Amino acid sequence: MKDYRIVFEKRGRVKYISHLDLNRCMLRAVRRSGLPAWYTEGFHPHMYLMFPLALSLGAESTCEVMDLRLTEEVPPEEILNRLNPALPEGLRAYEVREPKHVTQDIGSAAYEITLVGEELTPRWEAFLAQEQILTEKKTKKGMKEIDIKPLISVESAAAEGDALHLTMRLPAGNEGNLNVSVVTDAFAAFAQTEVLVKTVLRTKIFCADGGLFF
Amino acid sequence: MLKDKIEAHLLEVQRPSRYSGGEVGQVMKDPAKVDVRFAFCFPDIYDVGMSHLGMKILYSLINSRENYWCERVFAPWSDMEEVMRREGIPLYALESLDPVKDFDFIGFTLQYEMSYTCILNMLDLAGVPILQRERGEEIAPIVCAGGPCCCNPEPLCDFFDLFILGEGEKVNLELMDLYRKMRDEGAKRSEFLHEAAKIPGIYVPSLYDVAYNGDGTVQSVTPHDGAPATVQKRVMTKMDESFYPDNVVVPFIEIVHDRVSVEVLRGCIRGCRFCQAGFLYRPFREKSADTIVKQGIALCEHSGYDELSLSSLSTSDHSQIEGVLDGLLDYTADRHINLSLPSLRIDNFSESVLEKITTVRKSGLTFAPEAGTQRLRDVINKNVTEEEVMQTCSIAFRGGYTQVKLYFMMGLPTETDEDIIGIADLAQKVVNLFYDTPDRPKGKLQVSISTATFVPKPFTPFEFEPQTEKDEIIRKQRVLRDAIKSKKIKASMHVSDISQMEAVLARGDRRIGAVLYDVWRDGGHLDAWDEFFKAERWYAAFEKNGLDPAFYANRTRSYDEVMPWDHLDYMVSKRFLIRENEKAHQGITTPPCRTACGGCGANQCLGGPCFPQKGNDRNGLV
Repeated sequence: MKDYRIVFEKRGRVKYISHLDLNRCMLRAVRRSGLPAWYTEGFHPHMYLMFPLALSLGAESTCEVMDLRLTEEVPPEEILNRLNPALPEGLRAYEVREPKHVTQDIGSAAYEITLVGEELTPRWEAFLAQEQILTEKKTKKGMKEIDIKPLISVESAAAEGDALHLTMRLPAGNEGNLNVSVVTDAFAAFAQTEVLVKTVLRTKIFCADGGLFF
Repeated sequence: MLKDKIEAHLLEVQRPSRYSGGEVGQVMKDPAKVDVRFAFCFPDIYDVGMSHLGMKILYSLINSRENYWCERVFAPWSDMEEVMRREGIPLYALESLDPVKDFDFIGFTLQYEMSYTCILNMLDLAGVPILQRERGEEIAPIVCAGGPCCCNPEPLCDFFDLFILGEGEKVNLELMDLYRKMRDEGAKRSEFLHEAAKIPGIYVPSLYDVAYNGDGTVQSVTPHDGAPATVQKRVMTKMDESFYPDNVVVPFIEIVHDRVSVEVLRGCIRGCRFCQAGFLYRPFREKSADTIVKQGIALCEHSGYDELSLSSLSTSDHSQIEGVLDGLLDYTADRHINLSLPSLRIDNFSESVLEKITTVRKSGLTFAPEAGTQRLRDVINKNVTEEEVMQTCSIAFRGGYTQVKLYFMMGLPTETDEDIIGIADLAQKVVNLFYDTPDRPKGKLQVSISTATFVPKPFTPFEFEPQTEKDEIIRKQRVLRDAIKSKKIKASMHVSDISQMEAVLARGDRRIGAVLYDVWRDGGHLDAWDEFFKAERWYAAFEKNGLDPAFYANRTRSYDEVMPWDHLDYMVSKRFLIRENEKAHQGITTPPCRTACGGCGANQCLGGPCFPQKGNDRNGLV
């Protein structure tokens, strides 16, 4: 029995499959791959397959992580060689490691976002210059107003025609997660103009201590 | 590009991967290298259509030809339709994301009458003229249909270039071959249709004129331009040699039947008189156990599914069913694959078969006694006795089952209140049996009764029968409710005008086309879904066109009336259907085909009896 952490891309039209559907898709892919997957004991055995960090529907990623338990040791190259032909277009595994960190270690994630709209750069600057960025967040007790400004760490903003390319880091994981859509929705509401979220790409997952998660 | 336009809006709709394609198992080809493109359209949403076995077979079949490309098309749910109409996105195929109107064939499968308006809506979304006569002389696209409802396609004649009768494994390719040749020669649409009508199994409605009697019944159907007087359905006679896919498109989302299935047999030996499938798919033909096991394993291996189902009208009628189960269980057991058998019959549900499936999965059992009394079960030829129901439930209870679902029909020919009360009595006996079972399981017993309104269908012995009207069904449901005493019995019944519309469309003639058109124009886009079906829309369209739904649904038809579908031949003779109808009214049953041949005529395609065994002296007699 051995655990493997598989890093994969989710690009193109597979971005429309939800986290739950991705899980089912990967189960079937592992079955098709013929890898010696380990199953839980008991009345309803299931494959041990775990995703430490979900990705929002519609977002793409170059750094998704999936943990898989096999009944025996298999060389990383072989795992890739068997899994990749079984994956749908847009999903591609490119790295296999031994899991080093646990899910709870995840602290943040980096994104590249492209927005399209009119005069977005000054609007974006004004948006960030606010004292507070208040948004409503659904909690168990109903809607709650929170200030997301301290949570957003913008690394760059570059205009290209009517497109605005942003890179930013947002909290991720069990200890508070901030979806990209919360930021883009707040911006659209602030800018009072149509803002098209053209692409969202997750590029890195970090631990709370700032190191890369793997 | 259409792809970008689609993608720009997919996040506005529920379950966007219904519309994005890209699943494992989809077949991609280079459009520049294919000769004929076929858009296989299922007139319902992705979740339903992707569950359909016939589509999987024909998709793989066409794609097995290197120069032909078959793609999938489904109806959008209302949210996506709104986006498509607003943004000017035409109906597109999921593989290439190319517009359907640019395909050579737009082929629909007719599985259910209430999907007809959805077909019109899909053609409109595609930007293809809905009316056949407005499509002009350019050869493409050819709008065609296959599937069980093609046995009476008359209500759809205004909209289709041609219909494909029977099984498509050969005729679809013959049709595409002819198209390819004639298109390359520069043929017009009408020229192609004339030639296509010469292929056995192809029905070109524009080559037939229908005349009506003063009372509204059909007087005659007359072919012209060399079209054959009758069109006979196509049948694959050797199931082991018939094309079957070894892979399927594996959806991302959970669909209605989320599993791979192996077809084990076609046809049915039972002859239940209400069941259209039981007559349309005759004769009975089975695959060998070896073939079934081989195909089942291939599908699991290639798809990665963890559930395999055996598909047919009555799986336990397979002559080697135990061998099939043994072979498959050998493979599935230690691979964490569930084997499911959806179509088991009460009377031959043996203990050893039950044991085999219970080793894999335990859940509720579903039976369809269809009628509450033995008298009525004899009328409909559902050859199941109360004793057999009890015996099977007893085996099931001892095997750990605690949930039993019983399906019944209401409004069957000759039905009285006594038969309705019999439904409650039968359910009560099942309840009593549970508590009388000494080693019964610990769980909570639930006996569910579900009733559906009987819809008379073409090519059944009940094609002559009137449908019971809605008010009377409501009264009968009250009778049933009053007769149920136990809290362990849960009855689910609902009544809808859908049943009457289904009856009209099933046995309608060409004049119904105008009604369909008006219902669609008035907003009827997904009428198979309760939340979108609006009865007023339908009744208004009937009135506007001077037609009475009761004429089609609730009228007794005489044996000598010309039926709108009499020029179509499904190999089951009218004489046989009349004989069976007479026997029904006398309460006389007909034994299963394996016991004695009933002489329906379907064996004509086999060139001999279906079951060439001794003592079957009427074998093949029509």
